[in-house]
Amino acid sequence: MKKHFKFYKLILASLALSFLFGVNSYASEPFESYSYNYWKLAVRQPYPYLYDKTFDEKDFETKLSFPDDMFFYDDSIFVADTGNSRILKLDLNGKVLMEIDSAKSKSDKLNEPRGVYVTDEGNIYVADSKNARVVEFTKDGEFVREIGRPDTTLIASNVEYKPMKVVVDKDGRIYVIAYGINMGLVEFDRDGNFQGFMGAAEVTVNKFYYIWKNFLSTKEQQERMQTIVPTEYSNIFVDKENFVYATINGLTGDEINAEKDCIRRLNPTGTDVLRRLGPPIVGDLRFSQDNWSSFKDVAATDYGCYFVLDDANGKVFTYDYDGNSLFIFGRSGIKEGNVQKPVSLVINKDASKIYVLDGVLGNIVSYKITDYGKLVLNAILLNDTGDSEGSNACWQEVLKRNSNCEMAYIGLGKTLLSEGDYKKAMEYFKLGNNRKYYSKAFYYYRKEVMEKNFGKIMAVIIVVVLGLLAVKGYARIKKWVGEVKCTTLKH
Amino acid sequence: MHYFETLKYVFHVIFHPFDGFWDLKHEKKGSVAAALTFVVLTIITLAIEKQETAFLFNKNKLSELNVLVDIITVALVFILWCVANWCTTSLMDGKGKMVEIVTAIGYAVFPIPLIRLPLVFFSHFVTMDEGAFIKVFGIVSLIWAGMLVFFATSVIHEYSIKKTVVTVLITILGMGILMFIGLLFFNVIEQMINFVLTIYKEIRFR
Repeated sequence: MKKHFKFYKLILASLALSFLFGVNSYASEPFESYSYNYWKLAVRQPYPYLYDKTFDEKDFETKLSFPDDMFFYDDSIFVADTGNSRILKLDLNGKVLMEIDSAKSKSDKLNEPRGVYVTDEGNIYVADSKNARVVEFTKDGEFVREIGRPDTTLIASNVEYKPMKVVVDKDGRIYVIAYGINMGLVEFDRDGNFQGFMGAAEVTVNKFYYIWKNFLSTKEQQERMQTIVPTEYSNIFVDKENFVYATINGLTGDEINAEKDCIRRLNPTGTDVLRRLGPPIVGDLRFSQDNWSSFKDVAATDYGCYFVLDDANGKVFTYDYDGNSLFIFGRSGIKEGNVQKPVSLVINKDASKIYVLDGVLGNIVSYKITDYGKLVLNAILLNDTGDSEGSNACWQEVLKRNSNCEMAYIGLGKTLLSEGDYKKAMEYFKLGNNRKYYSKAFYYYRKEVMEKNFGKIMAVIIVVVLGLLAVKGYARIKKWVGEVKCTTLKH
Repeated sequence: MHYFETLKYVFHVIFHPFDGFWDLKHEKKGSVAAALTFVVLTIITLAIEKQETAFLFNKNKLSELNVLVDIITVALVFILWCVANWCTTSLMDGKGKMVEIVTAIGYAVFPIPLIRLPLVFFSHFVTMDEGAFIKVFGIVSLIWAGMLVFFATSVIHEYSIKKTVVTVLITILGMGILMFIGLLFFNVIEQMINFVLTIYKEIRFR
């Protein structure tokens, strides 16, 4: 009797605990978690990231004013505090470690810096927008050099040069997004000499619209129509392989439906090489709503997964190397853990934490990875490094938590395919809705079945052919006999 | 003629269209029952094709398939064509009667089930790369049926080729007009019902 009582107590205690810690923390998460499947439907999935913490003025011990950019480097976060015309270096608790507000001398103040980047060596690049220059500092904040307006006739002299964002690739090439310049990224060599423009956003003109505008409209109508100009990039990110991810902000629904790019991955010659094998990479796919996703910033892992920030809805969209939708989470709003006007997103080294900078509130919201998110990213990472066994184990675990995960089925299917279990592989590819690999598995499966049953199949064919011949022959003989009978009767 | 013999006659019609449709009209070698059988067979083919084609070539979402849609599309097009064709040809001194049109068109769509049903079966034995022939044969079946419809119109109404082309075009236009009138009719009826209902309510609540 006494034993029984204890057991009862234990159950009660564990129930209470689970309600306190387990269930509740999930249910109160201030956003939803989903991804898009093969049918372009939003499917709920376990949370890949959970809201962690908001860093605000109490942590910084100073107030940010309309900050515009952020960069993560070696366990510290660099923030371009645009409104206060300074660059801040924060540690992971939000404490200010360093402040840069002037360049050559104390009096040479920065003026609304809008972009910040730190090279592998630790040198800090700042896009000093109102001063029309890019400034380089050492890791201790000492002035190194400044790169001013590009010396070229390609930018008309009456056009203001206003650098917004800056990145430096591993070879020292400097790419700058400049406000109002729509010829692409401004490229400088390692010495700061202007090299040209890179990755201009192509203008695709609708033929019908062109004819309508130029031949069928009156002058007044023409003036009221938009001029067709290429879009500008909103932010850039350089990955391990020197490829530049660039986002395009504020596309209208019509433009998205016309399959305009919202994000590009530019190789060093400026060609877009982003893989688009999944559903369109445009953020949310609900084509009836008005507030389309609008990509503001991007950060990529070394193995090709990238996180894109949507400033219209405060969401973070994650895609893998092939462009499959991995995770979608986050929301704009006023609850704790929501963002109001997100402007920049950074991830730490292993993508276990995501930081989103809020430009209006001047705070930083951080998300931390869950077991589920870790498993998915790990599976992709291991697959990328060629460890298919490890990747397999991760996908198995992912499927236990989310049986809707198409990528897990495809990942497991690939392993089964290489192991030679073709029938099972076909099953998995079917679940993962991947016809390309299904076809491959099916080819081998068919070969296997044919080889195994070659004798039987041949026997059936021979019997059928012989049977047909026999029927035909019988009919012929009957006919011949009949004819013979007729002729004999005539005689 | 016996029903089964009229069914069997379709194999003569689809391979010898001019001769076949002529005999259909003048020798009464076909039957309306057989023609409707072929239409039903076409509907069944489309329904089976959507569900049972192998995974590799089947991009339909199985949970959202609806047989009613297949039935309505085929039946609607069939009825619209027959009515529109009858309307136009009776104005353009065609010699065909409604029964003859229905019979001929029913026989003319037979290549669709004839080719497409076996394709559904074969799709389970080929890979993606070898699958091109499935597409080709599917298109061939449609072209074949289309040509048969064209010849049927020509033979039934005793038209020249040129006049047949014009008739076919006008018939397609007529189908559009019929659809439009149908929609208009339903709309007006709906408005009328609403109107009467509103008046009824007004009087009730007074």
